[in-house]
Amino acid sequence: MAIEVTDRAREWLQQLGGVATVRLSPRHGCCGGGADIVVAEARAPDEPARYTPVQLPGLTLYIDPTLVDQGLRVDVEGFLGLRHLFVDGASPTRSKE
Amino acid sequence: MTTHQESQSPSTSEGMGLFERFLSLWVALAIVAGVLLGQFAPAIPETLSRYEYAQVSIPVAVLIWAMIFPMMAQIDFTAILGVRRQPKGLVITTTVNWLIKPFTMFAIAWFFLTVVFAPLIPAERASQYLAGAILLGAAPCTAMVFVWSYLTRGDAAYTLVQVAVNDLIMLFAFAPIVVFLLGVSNIQVPWDTVALSVVLYIVIPLAAGYLTRRTLIARRGIEWYDNVFMKKVGPITPIGLIITLVLLFAFQGEVILEAPLHIVLIAIPLIIQTFLIFFIAYGWAKAWKVPHNVAAPGAMIGASNFFELAVAAAIALFGLQSGAALATVVGVLVEVPLMLALVRIANKTRHHFPEAGAPADDAATTSEARG
Repeated sequence: MAIEVTDRAREWLQQLGGVATVRLSPRHGCCGGGADIVVAEARAPDEPARYTPVQLPGLTLYIDPTLVDQGLRVDVEGFLGLRHLFVDGASPTRSKE
Repeated sequence: MTTHQESQSPSTSEGMGLFERFLSLWVALAIVAGVLLGQFAPAIPETLSRYEYAQVSIPVAVLIWAMIFPMMAQIDFTAILGVRRQPKGLVITTTVNWLIKPFTMFAIAWFFLTVVFAPLIPAERASQYLAGAILLGAAPCTAMVFVWSYLTRGDAAYTLVQVAVNDLIMLFAFAPIVVFLLGVSNIQVPWDTVALSVVLYIVIPLAAGYLTRRTLIARRGIEWYDNVFMKKVGPITPIGLIITLVLLFAFQGEVILEAPLHIVLIAIPLIIQTFLIFFIAYGWAKAWKVPHNVAAPGAMIGASNFFELAVAAAIALFGLQSGAALATVVGVLVEVPLMLALVRIANKTRHHFPEAGAPADDAATTSEARG
């Protein structure tokens, strides 16, 4: 399994253009070091060539190659009309910095 | 859902770089450098301390902003939208961090510093150390928890949510808790001084961080922000921390030389508090059958502290020469070894917790895709 997308996330993404990016976002520790957090965003990546494209009906996902086959699931959540994507099943990884 | 990421935790040596792994050593070296500076070149710290505006030391303020701003600039407040996903984890973390931790810190520090160690620490000095401990207790970790979460294979999305929620609460709860506990300790601090330090060292860095994040992401994109801007700005925090410690100990030299034992005495209640808070949150999570990937980062955030804020508040409220500032630095000194011990405990007890399953809302259906 490369990645799962919940139906509600897919429907929401389709309303926004049908493109999403799943990538690693570095977070810095206050005492030095850091960790990379897996995040998903409803947009195309800055450099699509650096990502692995995944096609779903009406949806294109760009996934960081290191996150393919990790058993991740993209879902959408929120309240009061505000929504955002999140990635379920991911642990932080060692920051590459 | 269990992923292969959860199958094995990284070793602590694998998980941390040279700087953070040996933070205690760098802090110790900063203490030595600061004491030497204060003893052999006292003109430098004295000159720096003269640059004041409205009784705020400009060099110290700049260093404190350098420490705090990068941490604020990386907070993603949209993560709060996930507040309902792991409600048990958030209830535990929020309750422990804000309704338990500040008060156990106060009680433990008061008991040791003013009762048990009374023959060893002058009463006025003990009161200052207690103030430092109170400041530490009111400032839960805001950034290193990502590292602790990584080392315990925590849930990344949950870690983001709990950091965002705690930072928002801190904005409103830090000052009242600190003023209340200092009042209980008969340590008088004017409300306007506390309010000024909160504005200077929480509100302004938080607002600046938020506005910087919003503006730069709008102009250059989130990937540029994460991979270029934060890559340059993020490491400023530990550099600012070390320089602040050198300056701080340039003023603390006499105390360190006259009573080095005080550092050990301050460390004892801080160590007990760290373990106590971890086990309260971790035990509670186990009782509530919270998955390990939520229980571990949930317990780590309270056990660890936002040292930069505590150091900043101590300097702002009591001065660089104060015992309160010294006590907050002892917190930095013991942080990494203590937290790595807790990481090992969390990883060895993983099997006592339920594995991470599907999210609470299992009604969600999924599409599956291959690259």
